Amino acid sequence: MSVPQWVFRGPFLTAVVVGVPWLAAVLVTIYRRQLRIVACIAVLASITASAVLLGEAPKGESLYQALMLLFSCLTFGALLVLPRRDCGTGTIGGILFLLGSTLLAYSTGNLVVLLAAWTLSVMPFLWSGWLRARSWRPVVGLLLSSLALALAIGLILARSHVSSISALRGQNPGGLAAFGLLVVAVIFRKGICPAHAWVADAAEGGPAILTALLLNGHFGALVAAKLIVPLFPRTGNLFPILSYLAIATAVYVAIRALAENSPRRLLAFVALSESACILGGLESRTSEGIAGALVHWFVVSISTVALFGILRLLEVRFGENLTASRHFGLAEHAPRLAVSFAIFGLALVGLPGTLGFCSQDLLIQGTLASHPLTGLLLPIATAINAVSIFRLFTRLFLGKRRTGFTVMADALPRERWILAFGILFIVLGGLFPNAIVIQRSADANIVEQATRKSADLEPFGRID
Amino acid sequence: MSHPQAILVVVVLAPGVVFGVLASLWLLGWTVGERFLSWITSLTFSACAFGITALAWTVASTSNVTIAFGNWFVVGDYHFPLVLMADRLSLPFLGLTVVLSGLIGQFSATYLHREPGFLRFFLLLHLFSFGSLLAFAAGSFDLLAAGWEIVGITSVLLIGFFVLRPAPVENGLRVFGVYRACDIGLLVGVFALHHWAGTASFDRGFPVLTSTRAVIVCLLLLLAASGKAAQVPFSGWLPRAMEGPTPSSAIFYGAISIHAGAYLLLRAQPLLARSVLASSLVILIGLTTAIHGAIVGRASADAKTSLAYATLAQVGIVFVEIGLGWKWIAVAHILGNATVRTMQFLRAPSMLHDYHQMHSAFGGEFSGGRKQAEELLPERVQLWLYRWAFDRGHLDTILDRWVIDPLAQVSAYFARIDRIEMPWTTIRPRDVAPISLRGTAGQRGD
Repeated sequence: MSVPQWVFRGPFLTAVVVGVPWLAAVLVTIYRRQLRIVACIAVLASITASAVLLGEAPKGESLYQALMLLFSCLTFGALLVLPRRDCGTGTIGGILFLLGSTLLAYSTGNLVVLLAAWTLSVMPFLWSGWLRARSWRPVVGLLLSSLALALAIGLILARSHVSSISALRGQNPGGLAAFGLLVVAVIFRKGICPAHAWVADAAEGGPAILTALLLNGHFGALVAAKLIVPLFPRTGNLFPILSYLAIATAVYVAIRALAENSPRRLLAFVALSESACILGGLESRTSEGIAGALVHWFVVSISTVALFGILRLLEVRFGENLTASRHFGLAEHAPRLAVSFAIFGLALVGLPGTLGFCSQDLLIQGTLASHPLTGLLLPIATAINAVSIFRLFTRLFLGKRRTGFTVMADALPRERWILAFGILFIVLGGLFPNAIVIQRSADANIVEQATRKSADLEPFGRID
Repeated sequence: MSHPQAILVVVVLAPGVVFGVLASLWLLGWTVGERFLSWITSLTFSACAFGITALAWTVASTSNVTIAFGNWFVVGDYHFPLVLMADRLSLPFLGLTVVLSGLIGQFSATYLHREPGFLRFFLLLHLFSFGSLLAFAAGSFDLLAAGWEIVGITSVLLIGFFVLRPAPVENGLRVFGVYRACDIGLLVGVFALHHWAGTASFDRGFPVLTSTRAVIVCLLLLLAASGKAAQVPFSGWLPRAMEGPTPSSAIFYGAISIHAGAYLLLRAQPLLARSVLASSLVILIGLTTAIHGAIVGRASADAKTSLAYATLAQVGIVFVEIGLGWKWIAVAHILGNATVRTMQFLRAPSMLHDYHQMHSAFGGEFSGGRKQAEELLPERVQLWLYRWAFDRGHLDTILDRWVIDPLAQVSAYFARIDRIEMPWTTIRPRDVAPISLRGTAGQRGD
């Protein structure tokens, strides 16, 4: 029996990628049983469809398909690592809803759909009130970013009456105002200084793994790569502003993390600093920097979700009063979690033998080539982040013999296998990086050509 | 691939493969026994030693052994070349690494018998050997940097080997901070070579740079080399590193790791030779470190720290030799110093036993005491010098006061900004307490 050809067509597969998680989210909300199994089946369907989409994508145009596959796999891993006490309807439904929205944002070529996906991705957080538990900054940050994007897209639609992104390529739709609003949206969503504080608040007050997934959707970088770079080629003089802000954020939050004792906030600062490097690389206008940023996107996503997952497992097993101000010595009871934490943490800051080393190498080459002075701040930020991550590792896992606690609380088999898979990807990617770098390099050439074009054109002020 | 090339690849990769296999097995739940670990370590390093002998024969009789695997990754004009090379400079270092790693493996099998971290130690020993061999056999600064970083992280993890005590762990963190800060020099130096010369490879001759650019690259590499070799002003981490087990102290701070900085400068010798400023700075740093190490070592209360400072003083002199362009004297000096210090470190736990044996051999007449040179100085100067040496030249204090404290203050200031915002933004308050980056008191390896 042969499979009908329409099954392998883009629209159908995209519908599966986006629709199945949403349907599953509705199902778990109503059915309320076997939540993890239902969610895993839905995510596996998304992974399969994303993989087929990636396989069929032409070379150099596979960035978003690769990101869809990455995010689906991350969600699958998150579902397996999720502790049983967190497996409520709200969390599982939220994860599935977030997955569908994020994949929609990656796959769409339409401005209105992108806005809808962007807004829908924050809905679980606004709806459930997770992020309002301690501070209102996350809610305001996410709302302001959505508002800025809505205004920017509204302005573009009002002026050009076209909603297709490919049709608007290179036309500076909406002018400087739309460009400015898009930058504001990126700043708020990505947590670029001075709008960085909400990220740490969200990580601390929200559900750890779900918040890590929200942050690793990298919607800010997505808008930069999908809208700002190709749609606004005449902003050559303004591009560096976002780059400088990103590099400043990377350094600022890296230094801020040094004085942080809350593990969740500390991880959030380090993750934010490293994801700001992604933006810095995307804006570097060099193929090395852009390819480095795209590879680093993978590294940051996998590592930070894994780190937040391990932290949540520790909280569940050893209590939620973990802090980086004293030693806990948990490695004695959870040696594999300790090793996994060390590997993911060090990969995030560029340990050789991991994919992080290649991405950091490319990022440093790219940003230093385009901005020799500010680019120098990038390795400094990474060095500070390395110290922060290592400090958190030593405080949580080493330095103390725990008495009166005899239970071995190491990774369960399902957690162990998924963490091992993540480590395998990071390490094999580091040993044989060309398989990943070549793909991202082809994508980077397209982004670079768009930014190069912007440098050749007249800036906004003189044209308008 | 010719036989010498195959041997070079096997020598470099063997410890890495052993590490990878054993670590994967442990992650999947299978722990190997002490006897098997000891056996596989002996086998690996014995095979590597034979391989190095064969390579030495080839290099001595014909020419350098070089093998290129193409590029590790390529983006645009940038490429990361995978080139391994055994020449007259790298071969002594490769041999030293293999022989001493095997020796340390044998020694540790007894020394760390039934120690809870036995497997961890051997895993890190293999990883360290792989990193060192990669750094020494690298045909480009890119690959050298990769090996360099692996050596750094294994060094830090072995300082914190006794994981149940806070002091080794905190000292490991401190060393990690110094390493990472100084490694920025290597990363930016490699970038500068790529940017200005188009390559950071040296397997087909050294990249050609203008004199100004050569000075900049040399200074960046010197920063990295000084950090790794604990040269002034970064010497403060060395006594802290003595918290690790004695075998790791021997191979890291008596032999391989501490000389890696000198190797980097030896590799950059063609550039150094073109820059009077950089060469002078290398001599100045080396000379200062040699004097610093000689004086501070005399006031060290424990054997390992005293030995570490003795090594440091010699490495300082090696830097002077490199700065003066005496390349092969520096290499011979490194080989001699590394071998003697390893032996001394390994005998350090038995020092009292050795002393008593010597005492008996001399028929109870051996006192060991003799007039010290510093006794010729006025008493006030002696006292000042003792205080200065006792606080290890105040280097840690200076580093704390001028680098770490300001950074901590800036960080605390940023945290204070958050705290000021907190009443306006918080629905449920919480406490925020600043931390100390200095760690706990009394952790300087005493």
